[in-house]
Amino acid sequence: MSTPTEKTRADGGTADAASVDTGSDTDSEPVRRSSNSFLGDVWVNFKRWNLKAVRNPFVLVVSLVQPIIFLVLFTQVFGNVATSAINRGGGAAISYETYLVPAIAIQVALAAAATSGVGLVNDIENGMFEKVLVSPMNRAAVFVGKTAAEVLRIALQIGIILGLGVLLGADIATGVPGALGIVAIGVLFSFWFVSLSNSLAVLTKDQESTIVGVNLLQFPLLFVSTAFLPLSALPDWIRVVATYNPITYGVDAARAVMLDADVMTVIEVSAFGGLWNTLVPALAVLVALDLVLGSVAVYLLGRASSSNVQ
Amino acid sequence: MSVGSYPTHVHAVETTDLELTYADGTEAVRGVDLRVPEGEFFGFLGANGVGKTTTIKVLATLLSPTAGRVEVNGFDATADPRKVRESIGYMAQETSVDPELTARENIKFACEAYGVPRGERESRIDELLDLVDLVDAADKEAEEFSGGMKKRLDAATALVHRPPLVFLDEPTTGLDPKARNRLWDYFERINDRGTTIFLTTQYLEEADQLCDRLAVILEGEIVATGSPDELKRRVGGEILDVDLGDSESAERAVAVARDSDLFEDEATVEPTEKGLSVTSRAARTKGTDLLVALRDAGVTVTGFNVRAPTLDDVFLAITDGDDTAGAGGVVDTETDGATASEADGRGETSGATETTESEASR
Repeated sequence: MSTPTEKTRADGGTADAASVDTGSDTDSEPVRRSSNSFLGDVWVNFKRWNLKAVRNPFVLVVSLVQPIIFLVLFTQVFGNVATSAINRGGGAAISYETYLVPAIAIQVALAAAATSGVGLVNDIENGMFEKVLVSPMNRAAVFVGKTAAEVLRIALQIGIILGLGVLLGADIATGVPGALGIVAIGVLFSFWFVSLSNSLAVLTKDQESTIVGVNLLQFPLLFVSTAFLPLSALPDWIRVVATYNPITYGVDAARAVMLDADVMTVIEVSAFGGLWNTLVPALAVLVALDLVLGSVAVYLLGRASSSNVQ
Repeated sequence: MSVGSYPTHVHAVETTDLELTYADGTEAVRGVDLRVPEGEFFGFLGANGVGKTTTIKVLATLLSPTAGRVEVNGFDATADPRKVRESIGYMAQETSVDPELTARENIKFACEAYGVPRGERESRIDELLDLVDLVDAADKEAEEFSGGMKKRLDAATALVHRPPLVFLDEPTTGLDPKARNRLWDYFERINDRGTTIFLTTQYLEEADQLCDRLAVILEGEIVATGSPDELKRRVGGEILDVDLGDSESAERAVAVARDSDLFEDEATVEPTEKGLSVTSRAARTKGTDLLVALRDAGVTVTGFNVRAPTLDDVFLAITDGDDTAGAGGVVDTETDGATASEADGRGETSGATETTESEASR
């Protein structure tokens, strides 16, 4: 901290620049990166996004409130009507709570995934995106860490919904392993929407556009699927749309585990037996979708963070 | 344009024929040669939109050069970007902090990103909080900070790994004078400790205060280099602006000033929109004599002002060269500069001119 006004003159070569007064402390000794591990970089970013999520409980609560309202109101308002519709096929009678909880679990995954892109846009807007790019961290690890934090949040929120559902009288036929299975299905399901939301974020670089974009998709998609009523109770055109709607596959997979039964009617498979006749094709569709949209998102993120001029 | 020769010395920054052209065809940087020796406080001076930020982003590996070679701390920026990133600090023009994290958490994240060893982190964080005067606000979320506090926090996060070279892209734009002076102090302090600083600015005052050496960039090319004093000397003194009652008398006033013998031969007298402008080493001492001479010649003076040369004047002097006909002032000179170098730059010329004009009226 000696003589702030006295400058090291540069002309004439400053041949001694390297030895400028280091006398007081080790302060000019540059730090060598202590570790260069991919996982280390993932962890650093995972921690930051978790911290942000905890700092901002508003987002956490809001993305839970709507599904909870759906769960409570739908079961109270439509419970009686819907119960006859879902039990029309005969067999063991199930309550509408039991029928609806897997759909709400998927809705939670959808809502939480939607906010992923918003986080990215905020990072771009407040300069953190560039700050991270200029750091020596591995760039893939940066995005993996962020996504991992979101996966954790989605898993916790689905867990909360399942617990609430059981309190309201829903019955998970496959027990605790089934509950964990539904959480896993929800996470697998969320990837395509996480990808979509991040792609929108990179393309629009605008918070409002990203929020409007993902919200516009969420609701119609939920209603034109098997989320709230069985396919057989829906008009023909919705049946057609539902066949091509990713939400149908997420909901059917979660519901198959919930009921321990083959519930899927959009694709008829009978090769695996029991709930696997639903799970195998549904998960295959979801994995394919995740891979396609995930690749698009990875491409767009790679382009946004590349140093090639655009 | 070579900036002195340091053949045996390691340069913190060395570029050769650096070019960057954006996909839309904008040639933001057009053949820049830079050599910044270690330990120097280097200033990169230019108006908005002339390629300062683009250059600094190439040096910080955020953009790949279209052509040319870039070496930072001895590492090739294109071939070895990670080595470059490890060895530099970078403070972007827009303040970059995570508003949802506290000051301490922001610095901690940077420590982790740059791999500051776990055992050193706490002491490093405290040291930096102290250095940027944010100890009292350490555990407040950055959201609540003023612009100046955010800037200081940003500066702290750029320094966690004690980089031997720090890039500062217009670090004090938009700050009040107090916050600005504080940052200046702070930059001088780390420079005193041996850190090379590469600073971009549009304010000659800032460059003057801080920098050992400057390069002036215009339309993507370096048009002058030297110490702040050398550059100001090229302007040829101070500037006396005289406002006249009516524009018809401007010509007469210019003639009076030129024939007056008050100023040295190198002095320039030019008509301006409001009257005339005299650039001379004697502007301050002979100013009143000129006003008297003008009154005697029947010219009504409505206002006058003697001032030190500004960035605009330096630009004027540099781009004007020996051409003394620069009648419309800054605007024409800028256009001259563009046509002289390359016609492609014309799209940008109007933008640059606007900025320069508002700068001048400040």
